[in-house]
Amino acid sequence: MSDGFRKAESGSQLLARLEGRSSLKNLEPCLFADEGFPIHGDVVEFHGPEGTGKTEMLYHLIARCVLPKSGGGLEVEVMFIDTDYHFDMLRLVTILEHRLSQSTEEMIKQCLGRLFLVNCSSSTQLLLTLYSLENKFFAHPSLCIVILDSISAFYWIDRSNGGESFNIQEMNLKRCAEFLEKLVREHHLALFATTQTIMQKSSNSTESSIHLKLHCEADVEYRPYLCKSWQQMVTHRIFFSKQCNFNSSKTFSIVSCHTKKNHVIKCSFSVAECGVQF
Amino acid sequence: MVILRAGLCPGLTAEMIQLLKANGIATVVDLVSSDLEEVARKCSLSYKALVAVRRVLLAQFSAFPVNGADLYEELKSSTAILSTGSRSLDRLLDSGLYTGEVTELTGAPGSGKTQVCLSIAVSTSHDLKQNVLYVDSTGGFTASRLLQLAQTRTGDEEEQVEALQKIQVARVFDVYKMLDVLQELRCSVSQQVLSSSGPVKVLVVDSVSAVICPLLGGRQAEGLALMMQLARELKTLARELSMAVVVTNHVTRDGSSGHLKPALGRSWSFVPSTRVLLESREGTWGKASTRRIASLTKSSRQPTGIEVELDIGSCGVLEESPAASGEGR
Repeated sequence: MSDGFRKAESGSQLLARLEGRSSLKNLEPCLFADEGFPIHGDVVEFHGPEGTGKTEMLYHLIARCVLPKSGGGLEVEVMFIDTDYHFDMLRLVTILEHRLSQSTEEMIKQCLGRLFLVNCSSSTQLLLTLYSLENKFFAHPSLCIVILDSISAFYWIDRSNGGESFNIQEMNLKRCAEFLEKLVREHHLALFATTQTIMQKSSNSTESSIHLKLHCEADVEYRPYLCKSWQQMVTHRIFFSKQCNFNSSKTFSIVSCHTKKNHVIKCSFSVAECGVQF
Repeated sequence: MVILRAGLCPGLTAEMIQLLKANGIATVVDLVSSDLEEVARKCSLSYKALVAVRRVLLAQFSAFPVNGADLYEELKSSTAILSTGSRSLDRLLDSGLYTGEVTELTGAPGSGKTQVCLSIAVSTSHDLKQNVLYVDSTGGFTASRLLQLAQTRTGDEEEQVEALQKIQVARVFDVYKMLDVLQELRCSVSQQVLSSSGPVKVLVVDSVSAVICPLLGGRQAEGLALMMQLARELKTLARELSMAVVVTNHVTRDGSSGHLKPALGRSWSFVPSTRVLLESREGTWGKASTRRIASLTKSSRQPTGIEVELDIGSCGVLEESPAASGEGR
């Protein structure tokens, strides 16, 4: 909120903001091209076509975050913003049950108590929800991860509502991206967002700029279609794809690119009953 | 884009709106995202009043976060798994149709999608005694076939009639009518207009591609926007009203690899949580066979690639019911 400048913060709010959030070390070393863990302020984009394991990877991250330290987790709180009713609670519970050594109802409820879910049905509602969530970040200092699945869900509806002008079409998403950036910066969060591959790869070579050359080197099919504000705030872009091996076991592979430092890391994983396995 | 108007929330008076409009603030989003100090100064309104209005508007128009544990409790009591009436199909779907999810049946013409839909409708209305809304956009729905299927479940005429009464049919031939039907369903539930035996538990849409395909193509985004709006309606109905939604879709051949893939493109492919492909292997069984192979192509709970065999003969895909005294296969 831009009127937060003069609004008096209470002592606890000030401490929460300045002290920094819990460290996210060891969240998932395989995913991050650099340091090995997301530092606060990182914006990670999961990009890939349907059926490539993006949502499974999100469940894996959520599990890693909400499990208690004794169960191998980080015991931090997660805010999950669901824009297309994708979230499957029963699947998450199955994964948690497999990862806890003694999975009682109490333990599961305790883990789930660290997860907050919001459903948004339009980009306008998403924007207003982000504004109203700001207070939640003040009140919960251990809330340091925001997951947005997915940020591209309103793309076609926005484009059709915006009439002829591209600016109006992108306006809502642009404002969301700008506000998210502000939230991430001020509250030291890490943001994970998924975008869907809904465009075909551009065969027009003049469209690819230097910005995309990195992706061409990394051999991924990527055609950016969201607004510039979003593209510029992403620090890590992770591409998901499916591979069919000869022994007919399905594995998924990811290519992780750090947008500023030009690092590329590849690894692969498979999905079992207990979730993602590297 | 909600426009500010008097009475939208307590404290928002007509004169306030006039002053705000004069300074370029016309919608809720404008008000919420602007610097209230500046606005108070420029419009000479009370800062306190503006903050209060902002808070109320946010509470009214934004979504509320729910705690994971509470949501889990709610889902445990409201999610149901509905058997499809065929053991092999149930095995494919991990014991049946889950409420809260959209399941898609894809296949070439003649692969049995409508037969499976009709079987699911009869199984739900007779065996599970739940209401079904069948939205038909292809003209493939016939009440006589439905009666035939009901007759294989029970020989008692009264029971047959009861089963058929639980199935409502809506014939739609364009996407706007389809959206209307779905909206009406939502309104009737929210106003608690109960039919004689309770809420609709299964929604069958046969088929989605018939109403959407004419809109796609060309450079306008409108067709895709309508498709995504329809997708959103279906998912909202599934989640909020705890229904199991079944949709059918055509297949096309992938340009590069030659594999069959569901029609309606990439954007639609993200919508269903489970997808089953129906095929007939003419090579092995000959053209007139009623046997089909159903394979799981997308699922969040089971590995893909599982295949089962179905027979869409006179019983649809329903299994022989011990109470039936009608004709066997």
